[in-house]
Amino acid sequence: MLRWLTLPFVVGCTLLVVNSARGDERASAAQLAARIDALLEQHWQTEGIQLAPRADDAEFLRRAYLDLNGRIPRVSEVREFLSNDAPVKRAQVVEQLLDSPRFAVHFANVWRAELLPETMADRGAGVFRVGFEAWLQDRARAGVAYDALVRELLTAPIAQDGQGAEPVLRDPVRPNPLAFYAVKDAKPENLAAAVTRTFLGLRMECAQCHDHPFAAWSQDQFWQQAAFFASVQRQGAGMFAPLVETVAVRHVTPPEKDVAQAATFLVGDEPDWSREPSPRAMLAAWITARDNPYFARAGANRIWAQFFGRGIVEPVDDFRDDNPPIHPKLLEELAQAFAASGFDIRYLMRAICLTDAYQRSSVRTDASQDRTALPARMPLKSLTGEQFFDSIALATGYRDQQDKGAARRLLQTRFARGAAAVDPETSVQQALTLLNGSFTDWAANIDECPTLVAIDSTPGLTLDEQIDGLYLAVLGRLPAPTERAKIATVFDASPEEDRRLLLADVFWALLASAEFRMNH
Amino acid sequence: MHRFDRLTRRSVLRATGHGAGAILSSTWLSRLAAQAATAPDRQRACILLWMAGGPSQLDTFDLKPEHANGGPIRPIETSVSGVQFSEHLPSLGRQAEHLAVVRSMHTKEGDHGRATYHLRTGYVNQGSIRFPSLGALLAKELGDLDADLPSYVSVLPQRAFSQVAVSAGFLGPRYAPLVVGASGDELRVEDLGSRLDAPRRAERRLQLLGDLETNFLSGHSGAATDGHVTAYDRAVRLQRATAARAFDLNQEPDALRDRYGRGHFGQGCLLARRLVERGVSFVEVTLDGWDTHDNNFEQVKTLSGALDAGWSTLIEDLNSRGLLDSTLIVWMGEFGRTPAINPRAGRDHYAAAWSVVLGGGGIRGGQHIGRTSPDGMQIE
Repeated sequence: MLRWLTLPFVVGCTLLVVNSARGDERASAAQLAARIDALLEQHWQTEGIQLAPRADDAEFLRRAYLDLNGRIPRVSEVREFLSNDAPVKRAQVVEQLLDSPRFAVHFANVWRAELLPETMADRGAGVFRVGFEAWLQDRARAGVAYDALVRELLTAPIAQDGQGAEPVLRDPVRPNPLAFYAVKDAKPENLAAAVTRTFLGLRMECAQCHDHPFAAWSQDQFWQQAAFFASVQRQGAGMFAPLVETVAVRHVTPPEKDVAQAATFLVGDEPDWSREPSPRAMLAAWITARDNPYFARAGANRIWAQFFGRGIVEPVDDFRDDNPPIHPKLLEELAQAFAASGFDIRYLMRAICLTDAYQRSSVRTDASQDRTALPARMPLKSLTGEQFFDSIALATGYRDQQDKGAARRLLQTRFARGAAAVDPETSVQQALTLLNGSFTDWAANIDECPTLVAIDSTPGLTLDEQIDGLYLAVLGRLPAPTERAKIATVFDASPEEDRRLLLADVFWALLASAEFRMNH
Repeated sequence: MHRFDRLTRRSVLRATGHGAGAILSSTWLSRLAAQAATAPDRQRACILLWMAGGPSQLDTFDLKPEHANGGPIRPIETSVSGVQFSEHLPSLGRQAEHLAVVRSMHTKEGDHGRATYHLRTGYVNQGSIRFPSLGALLAKELGDLDADLPSYVSVLPQRAFSQVAVSAGFLGPRYAPLVVGASGDELRVEDLGSRLDAPRRAERRLQLLGDLETNFLSGHSGAATDGHVTAYDRAVRLQRATAARAFDLNQEPDALRDRYGRGHFGQGCLLARRLVERGVSFVEVTLDGWDTHDNNFEQVKTLSGALDAGWSTLIEDLNSRGLLDSTLIVWMGEFGRTPAINPRAGRDHYAAAWSVVLGGGGIRGGQHIGRTSPDGMQIE
């Protein structure tokens, strides 16, 4: 009985503590946001750049939803936001999106694409996709810090030799970090290349076969990195073969060479194996150490690029002397703040979303904006296949049950983005799919598409209100007066019996528009 | 913009004899770029006959009649003395002087997905780079983004093994293939042609799109919005008569269509010829079904029938139109098949020693390159 009485009190206190910690964090994120803007301001001044104006609420909201939750906002979410007068509503919505279950889903999509792009490229590897995303989602929901996430990936448990073998796929839908090892063929060189590229921003794999002519890394150094993964071995052939680990194996012999390379850090001290016998744990500790010169910078740069389309170092995985950051001080301070926060992913994202830079319009208002790779206006970003599909599904009211997910598979693949996040591209086949595809045919059918059916059949709506509904559902904003006028003209010119079809055609035009296709 | 893309640093240096520092924006730059893009003078093209599943080399181009691994399929003489093909490829045998058989393929990927990716992009699927398929590369290097027809067309792609292997990878959607699928007996560009009953509605939709996009496009002028508008323009042009006619096989004489074979593959070969004739740089035609773990010999016989008619007529047809010299035809799958015959009269995946065949495009025909051991297990 006592327990039940005290529980609310304990929970209440904990919440208070959590809330106040959260409050500090928010204040600190706001400070970092202000610091970012101040550093950028110096850049704008020296370069003579005219900034785009602040984005209006609808533009900001759509962007924040896409960047933090991987989909556009619902009609109700837009209406609520637009009618909210609170001056802090942008910060509030960022908070809400960071806490949403969708945050973890989007986070997992993004990081799966970074870490295991192979899963989209071949059928065998594709089997591992769901489990790897489930693991990432699980970690994101738990609020894992970036360094901890990396350590957990690098030290994912594998049965030690003599204890049997570790299956790499027990159940395809269960959280599975070992997917990373399986899909990389458990080869030290593949694992090392992916790890250094993703987490340190260093492209070392060219050094796999030869000393790189321009970079500081030698072939020996590449294989010395790879040697940290030599302890992991596959039992049998193929991606689905189980793994075992022998921690005593800490060297690897490159193909067609005689000399084995021992696990050695890229920079810094020699590994002290008496303190930590596991080479994977040793590497994980070195990579995620506060004083690792690459880790925090590469991580902060990557997260920056997720929001602004381009990194401060671009490409984000190509840090080298002759590819310097466009704003070294900005990157340095972001990295320091990220590390000081305990690599709190949400903290860094919160700070970025609170900057004036992030809240600027994407509209090009001055030619000087083309001169900088820093966000003088928000660059147009391409949607990932998942963002595109989840958004069009939401706008139309699509449910997987209606065609057993066929549209999801088709659209996610056909609308997957190329390598670049900025300057979205459109293929002829994509245009044809939106013009004539079976999904479009369904989506613009006024008797079938749930969004259209709702707008068409709600009694008492005026034409203006119906058009508002279409705009809010697809573009997350109300139509501009000029757009409203254009539509009214077309409606006035059409016979009464044609109006339902015309409504569907307007809906189609919005779905097919560049504005819908892009994150702006 | 895209013309500039095509200008590699090397070609600029070669063409100008100056350092890259001399290249500033000027009118001759675009002319120079255009020249670099079209040289050599002849418009070149490539047709890839893609044998999804991995065709059996022992039952097509590297027969082993003396060995138990050879199986029941017999070799026949071809128009080139000393070169033998399978008995199920008689018409192709009469074109052997145009073909170079490479019998020394050796790769490491024995899984469909990974091997498909490897052979179609030239790279092993590892790491974070999504490589473009060969077609996208050629589209970028040879194609004209302003042409009515796309530069890369994929006929009946088998995308189950590897989606990315039928895509433009890091080159981006501009170089992605236009996909021709099958609808009943006919080959059709996917989603070409409106599903709407009234053509007026299709027009109205485009009109609305143009009208309602104006604000966004003018506020966001640049490569992304230009590309979006261009893609729709090209999609619409593709639906118009002249371009759509390229895909209309009814324009061809019945007798010729019969000779190609009335199946999808044969008609796909005919379509490839029509497209190459109209300046398309890369066409791939897939013949699926080579994953013959069971009942290999019957299946190979059936597949060979379609292959023989389509491929041999394609060579003949291109040759008679003077296009064979500028059109490279590549026949390959993702790997070969085991020389040893399994208990189900099938052959399994084998990457250690297998064959591809090249023809046209200036390749010296009538030869074979490389040799496998008498049991077909290794390259000698």
